[in-house]
Amino acid sequence: MKKGFSLFKLCSATLLGTVFLSAALFAAEETAPGVKGMSDEEFTPTKEVLNVKYVQMDKPYHMDVESLKGAFKDAGAVKVVLQKQDKAFPNGGGSVAGAEVKAIHDGITIYFQITWSDPTKNARTIAVQEFRDAAALMFPLGAVEITPAEHFSPRMGDREKPTNLWHWKADWEADLLVKGELEDVEVQYPNMHDDFNFNPYSAYYHRELITSVEVLSGGRAANNLLSQPGRGRTVEDLNAEGFGTLTTQDHQDVNGCSHYEDGVWTVIMYRSLITQDPHDVQFVPGGNAFFNMAVWNGGEQDRNGQKNISTQWHPATLEKVAWQ
Amino acid sequence: MTLVHNWHLGRRMEYPYFESRPKRQFAAIFNINRCIACQTCTMACKSAWTYNKGQEHMWWNNVETKPYGGYPQSWDVKTLKLIDNGENTWYTDEKDEKLSPYGVYEGDTIFEAASKKNINQWAVGYIPEDKEWRSPNFGEDVAKSNKPDEYSSLPEHSRWFFYIQRLCNHCTYPGCLAACPRKAIYKRKEDGIVLIDQKRCRGYRKCVEQCPYKKPMYRGLTRVSEKCIACYPRVEGKDPLTKGRPMETRCMAACVGQIRLQGFLDDNPKNPVTWLIRHDKLALPLYPQFGTEPNIYYIPPRWAPRAYLRQMFGPGVDEAIDKFMVPSRERLAVMSLFRMAQSIIFEYKIEEGPKVFETTIHGKKFEMYNDTVIGFGEDGQEIVRTTIEEPIHIRDPKHYNSI
Ligand code: SF4
Ligand code: SF4
Repeated sequence: MKKGFSLFKLCSATLLGTVFLSAALFAAEETAPGVKGMSDEEFTPTKEVLNVKYVQMDKPYHMDVESLKGAFKDAGAVKVVLQKQDKAFPNGGGSVAGAEVKAIHDGITIYFQITWSDPTKNARTIAVQEFRDAAALMFPLGAVEITPAEHFSPRMGDREKPTNLWHWKADWEADLLVKGELEDVEVQYPNMHDDFNFNPYSAYYHRELITSVEVLSGGRAANNLLSQPGRGRTVEDLNAEGFGTLTTQDHQDVNGCSHYEDGVWTVIMYRSLITQDPHDVQFVPGGNAFFNMAVWNGGEQDRNGQKNISTQWHPATLEKVAWQ
Repeated sequence: MTLVHNWHLGRRMEYPYFESRPKRQFAAIFNINRCIACQTCTMACKSAWTYNKGQEHMWWNNVETKPYGGYPQSWDVKTLKLIDNGENTWYTDEKDEKLSPYGVYEGDTIFEAASKKNINQWAVGYIPEDKEWRSPNFGEDVAKSNKPDEYSSLPEHSRWFFYIQRLCNHCTYPGCLAACPRKAIYKRKEDGIVLIDQKRCRGYRKCVEQCPYKKPMYRGLTRVSEKCIACYPRVEGKDPLTKGRPMETRCMAACVGQIRLQGFLDDNPKNPVTWLIRHDKLALPLYPQFGTEPNIYYIPPRWAPRAYLRQMFGPGVDEAIDKFMVPSRERLAVMSLFRMAQSIIFEYKIEEGPKVFETTIHGKKFEMYNDTVIGFGEDGQEIVRTTIEEPIHIRDPKHYNSI
């Protein structure tokens, strides 16, 4: 059983060629530091299979939870047990015990709906002590078999066992709704003093200063998707090959929408069944798939490995389309 | 965890990565005794790197008043509490020049406290909230009065405060780097500067949480964290002013009080920084017990209560203050290099001059020689030459009244 991986070898993985590990200090053990082994049970997918129902539907004009409600009406749900992430440092999570997953497709697009309880809505991450609510789906990349004999880690994949992740973020949803598509610091601190008067007609407008924002905003200058305004989506499309390897894709294909009411999040993530991107999972009507998921509770300071996870893969089958 | 050697602690300690020291380590020495808290250093940094939107709360360099000041508020007290196991002491009977110059720390570091408490994190820590970053100079010039009715006199003032100049320590075993689950933080092999990769960072704030010095800072605008970059373009010699020579950072070069000397810790005993830290032991690390082997060193303030200073700079305090009060001939010469050049000095040479002064300080004989000190750059070229006695210029009587 391959418990971990040498972090240096990642650089040579062709898929994650863009992963850049420049730490001058290097991993101490062959097993990644702070990572405990996994049980055979975790390498066995759950018995319950998610039926991805074929639904003939017209794409709603507004992609929101309300408009998609009807389409999900007859889709069967799978209950996913969630627990604290207790293998890789930092450990954490444990405040969300479970979630319900449904999925549908219309022959063109696949939709996953995740529902879970969270008494606090955390949809902003501008103040240092504030963390977002989030949810993620993970899929093995390529056609795989998952058995105790054929290991495929349900926790972020493994070296040469890459995964595709869809990460929905509550604050990205909030970003989408404002002009410029990025909630700015004034939203968090309405009475803040700042040297930046963004009104170009103001007597104090200082062109050089204002244009320097991009240059001197490290994350933006480095093209970090998290820092960019105008992402146009609420779901990030990523890959991972084990703990600490999460990498944003150059090509973003996934989108989503959400609704929060009475302490319950309903999040829908959707994407074309098939994409041109070799780093994406592909779905074939009539075919099979696996998924796994995680939920972050911002109110509990969940982020990164501090999350509520399912420790097993869940099988899914896609219904055939009517004309198949 | 592996075991690495931390010479500040005089022993091996737990750390998630192997020991891997840079070719030479970015380091600086601050003479606390001379700081006037003018905050020129603070503004030099601010106007270079953190004047931008979303960085309003960021002061990569800050100067705070001890014992009450702290940015973020009470950062040191809070972290000291996290590593306190009731018996954090130093064993100072045996020392080794190279391996344990201050003795041996018998207590928990931030890494060891985490593994003892079984919290399944690399280090203990906490995230200071908004309000804790908000008043960077809170407590300025507020003195502590141990005996309010008494006048103060040396060697220890009963009513005291002092300034402490703080920036990222570019630690040998950074807590921030250990904490980052993404390995977005790296320590450069060429100069030991610790940086956050702005592309890999995902704003998890584990570095904000586990840096004991609270020097990585979260930027709400970009949703990722930033920290002191040691003005690396200057250190690399990219600033045209020094024509390719490594240059000191903004905060160092701007220091009005001339309290700062920046350079690299290396193996050269004639490197002024190496000499003052490793050979003379005049300059001491800040809170060595945290266990990160920080690389900003301090000449402790001679008037402050020793117990407080020992907690802050370790058991080397008494010896360092004695040495500072009655400086040896070489020490005085090396200390004359502070703020004499913007190019980084890699080596010094002393040319002996005549004795000019003699006195007794606290019962100890002090002799002053007007030696000449020469500082050399990386290329071996002379970059500065100064004497112990500063030259006196007498203004021509006809200009007495002019500015
Ligand atoms: S002072 Fe903090 S931010 Fe700087 S290197 Fe050390 S642990 Fe990292
Ligand atoms: S510029 Fe020098 S003297 Fe002034 S506050 Fe900074 S360190 Fe102290």
